[in-house]
Amino acid sequence: MKQEEALNTLNDIRNLMEKSTKFLSLSGLSSIVVGLYACAGTLMAYHLLGTESLNYPTEDQPFLDINTPDKLISISLLALGVLAASLLTVFLLSYRKCRREGKAPFLTPATKRLLWNFFLPLATGGIFCFSLLLHGYYGLTSSIMLLFYGLSLVNASKYTYSNTRYLGFAEIALGLIDSFVVNYALLFWVCGFGIFHIIYGIFFYLKIEQHPTRTRN
Amino acid sequence: MLEYLSHINKAFESKVRLGIMSVLMVNECMDFVSLKQLLGLTDGNLASHARALEEAGYITCTKQFVGRRPNTTYSATPEGKEAFRQHLDALEAFLREQHS
Repeated sequence: MKQEEALNTLNDIRNLMEKSTKFLSLSGLSSIVVGLYACAGTLMAYHLLGTESLNYPTEDQPFLDINTPDKLISISLLALGVLAASLLTVFLLSYRKCRREGKAPFLTPATKRLLWNFFLPLATGGIFCFSLLLHGYYGLTSSIMLLFYGLSLVNASKYTYSNTRYLGFAEIALGLIDSFVVNYALLFWVCGFGIFHIIYGIFFYLKIEQHPTRTRN
Repeated sequence: MLEYLSHINKAFESKVRLGIMSVLMVNECMDFVSLKQLLGLTDGNLASHARALEEAGYITCTKQFVGRRPNTTYSATPEGKEAFRQHLDALEAFLREQHS
C-alpha cells in the first residue's frame, strides 16, 4: 500500500462521516438575504406602530404601543410574513446549492435530523410567543424570539456547519440583554435578526464558500 | 517493524466496505436506500458488500416492512466498531512511519 493511497482512504472516510451526519448545503447568501428581510420588516413595523411609540420611555406606557387589536394583528402578520419568506429563501437557496454541487439527494437522514433539531425549539418558542400575545404580554416578545431562535441554532449546529452555534450564542446573549431592557424591542429585533444574520452571512461566504475544502468547521 | 500492518484489516480493503463502515461508525443506523445513495452504489453492489460485513460480524441488518415495502437498516456492532478503529489506527501508524 502506498502512502498516498492511505491518505486518500483516510480523507474519504472523513468526508463520508461528515456527509452522512451533517447537512452541508447551507449558503451564506441565504443568511444575508434573511437579514435584509428582517431589516425591511422592521422598517415596516416601525411605520406601522407610528413614531409616538418610540418616544420612550414613559412610566405609564412601558411597552410598545401595540395594544390595539388592529396593530397587533398586522404586526403579527408582518412577523409571520418575514418568517415565511426567510424559510422559503433558505430552503430554495440550499436546494439550489445541493443540486449544483451534485450531492446526494436533498432529503437525507442528516437533513431530517437537522430540520427536527432546528424546528423543535423554534416551534416551542413560536407557540409560547403566540400564547403570550393572546394573554396580552407584549413586553418580552422580542427577547423570547431571540432566545428561542438562538437555542434552535445551537441545537441544530451539530447537524450542519458547526459555526452556526456562534450565531446562536450571539442571539441568546442579545435575547438575555433584551429581557432586562424595556422598550427597545424593535432595535434588539433588527440587531439580532437583521444585522447578525448579515454579518454571519458575509463571514460564512468568505470563510467557507471561498475555501470549501479547508474549513469545514 | 511490520507489526502495525497486521492490524490493517482485510475485511476493510474494499472501498465500498470502508464506506459502509465509515457511515455506520457515526450514525446509529442507516437504511438501505440512504446508504446506497450516500455511497453512490447499485442495489446489488451494496447488498453483497453488506452481506460480507454481516458475515464477519461487523454489522447487523434489520429487516422489517413499512407498509408493504421491505425496509432494511444496518448498524455497526461493537466488534465492528473496534475492528474499524484498529484499522484506522493502523493506517495512521503506517503514515507516521512513512513520514519519519
